[in-house]
Amino acid sequence: MIYVENLRKEFKKTIKEPGLLGSFKSLFHPKSEKIVAVDDISFEVPEGEILGFIGPNGAGKSTVIKMLTGILTPTSGKCTINGKNPTVDRKSYVKEIGVVFGQRTQLWWDLPLRETYGVLKEIYEVPEDRYHKRMAFLNEVLDLESFITSPVRTLSLGQRMRADIAASLLHSPKVLFLDEPTIGLDVVVKDNIRNAIDYINKTEKTTVILTTHDLADIETLSKRIVMIDKGQNVFDGTISELKSKYGQIRELHFDTDTANVEQALAYAEHFGISDDVVTTETDGKSVKVRFNSSVVPVSDMLSYTLGKINVNDISVKDADIEEIIRRLYKQGVQDEEKA
Amino acid sequence: MKQIKRMLRIHRIFIAQELKRMMEYKGDFIVGIIGFLMVQCSNLLFLWIIFSQIPDLMGWTVNEIIFIYGFSLIPKGIDHLLFDNLWSIGHFTVRKGDFDKYLTRPINTLFHVMVEKVQIDALGELLMGIALVCVTLPSLSIEWTAMKIILGIAVIPFATLIYTGIKIATSAIAFWTKRSGNIIYMFYMVNDFAKYPATIYNNAVKWIITYVIPFAFTSYYPAKYILTGDNPLYNIGLSVVISIVLMVIGIIIWNKGIGAYESAGS
Repeated sequence: MIYVENLRKEFKKTIKEPGLLGSFKSLFHPKSEKIVAVDDISFEVPEGEILGFIGPNGAGKSTVIKMLTGILTPTSGKCTINGKNPTVDRKSYVKEIGVVFGQRTQLWWDLPLRETYGVLKEIYEVPEDRYHKRMAFLNEVLDLESFITSPVRTLSLGQRMRADIAASLLHSPKVLFLDEPTIGLDVVVKDNIRNAIDYINKTEKTTVILTTHDLADIETLSKRIVMIDKGQNVFDGTISELKSKYGQIRELHFDTDTANVEQALAYAEHFGISDDVVTTETDGKSVKVRFNSSVVPVSDMLSYTLGKINVNDISVKDADIEEIIRRLYKQGVQDEEKA
Repeated sequence: MKQIKRMLRIHRIFIAQELKRMMEYKGDFIVGIIGFLMVQCSNLLFLWIIFSQIPDLMGWTVNEIIFIYGFSLIPKGIDHLLFDNLWSIGHFTVRKGDFDKYLTRPINTLFHVMVEKVQIDALGELLMGIALVCVTLPSLSIEWTAMKIILGIAVIPFATLIYTGIKIATSAIAFWTKRSGNIIYMFYMVNDFAKYPATIYNNAVKWIITYVIPFAFTSYYPAKYILTGDNPLYNIGLSVVISIVLMVIGIIIWNKGIGAYESAGS
């Protein structure tokens, strides 16, 4: 369905010295450097899959999405979606895709929401009867009824996002690109939107590429993730693979009456390891110790802790995906692999 | 044919959308109309003051000069009315990354940008131009032939496209420079010279408005043909050729520019 091969995008950036003088200098002697935003990225997405596309800010996610949607022309490499090249067959290609950029809107700002759908119907040449059926369907999934006659500028962010997603689905696209569709939304609206995406994926076999910083989106929606950092592909696999590959991080939870647990336990000194490998958080009586189980085995950790202080209610947990990704973003993947 | 029908339909829908948008804010709309009428009245007064001071000039009578002036406003007004949105490409659409929207829709991007907005203010220029032409015509003793009428009218869309072509080419520079508002402005403002007979200027200006930024072909040359019947091949024919050439250049630059478009971070 979607094939991305060795995709690369370079931007030219002019370097300016700071201040007004620097700006003048650059006007007459422009210096520029090449920035590689996306460097040799390849992946595939089969039909009907929801792919979570993640990475820290500035990793190149949006640049990849923009190349896949025909907005940017790749410097080299290629992407083929439904057998089409987005930049070459742009007009026929974009009829088959839906795009939502969470930070922007494609709705007509000053007019009632309904007007936007009326125009999009013409732009995408949706026949009258299909349009009515489609609107009824989208209304059911995204619950637009209550604000469809309100001007777009008066919509809340959650309503606007639902409206934008509906706009991207009006022409029944085969592929849906969602760039941060849950940004800035409350928990309930996030849930609604996730359910809608899931429902449309299941009922219509729509392939979805989703970028987000909210990992709950990924956990509820997608089985597979592609993670990029500094323009490079750093992980491609299922969430359980991610957990088993990088998931040596465990959490030890317990309650204790001992005061000053951190000093009493002094894990780092005892095991002769650095503070990065084990971190301790206390909140009143309850204590949370995060450690790398490939460096300190769980059994050692347990027996040392139990031997040292009085403990109630102890448990060991898998680190959640958020924790894994936090570590990956922070340290960079190379470091993680060395460890 | 089907393609053209679809484009016309979309154009109509965008115009309807624009009119609805203007009427969404009723107060602004009404004040806008009042302001518009005031500006037109003051323009009329200003023109009257200028033309009542101008004697015959380089062999042109005042009425002929007013006719050329009026004729120049017609293609300018049509372009301004229909395709004004090109300015936004040079000013902010590219710089802010809002051009993304056009690229994700199954319509030609240039067409989409051109027809997305209408500039109602331009009706002032257009109506003023038509009025000045109509008022001066009876006193000009023009020898009317069928060919003159046909060519005189047929040249108007081509003259319009000279404006549009120049705007497309200069706005598309923004795809590389991110901003080209001042470039469009610089080129566009040369049209002020084209409101008067080209012969009143020195050779440099005349040469520029004929061959470099050929606004003289939107007004002076076609109007001269209507007035004198001289050399239709040059006065009208070259207008047509130049407008086609400028449109082709504009479209080529535009299409190249899309490949260079960089969007903006989000």
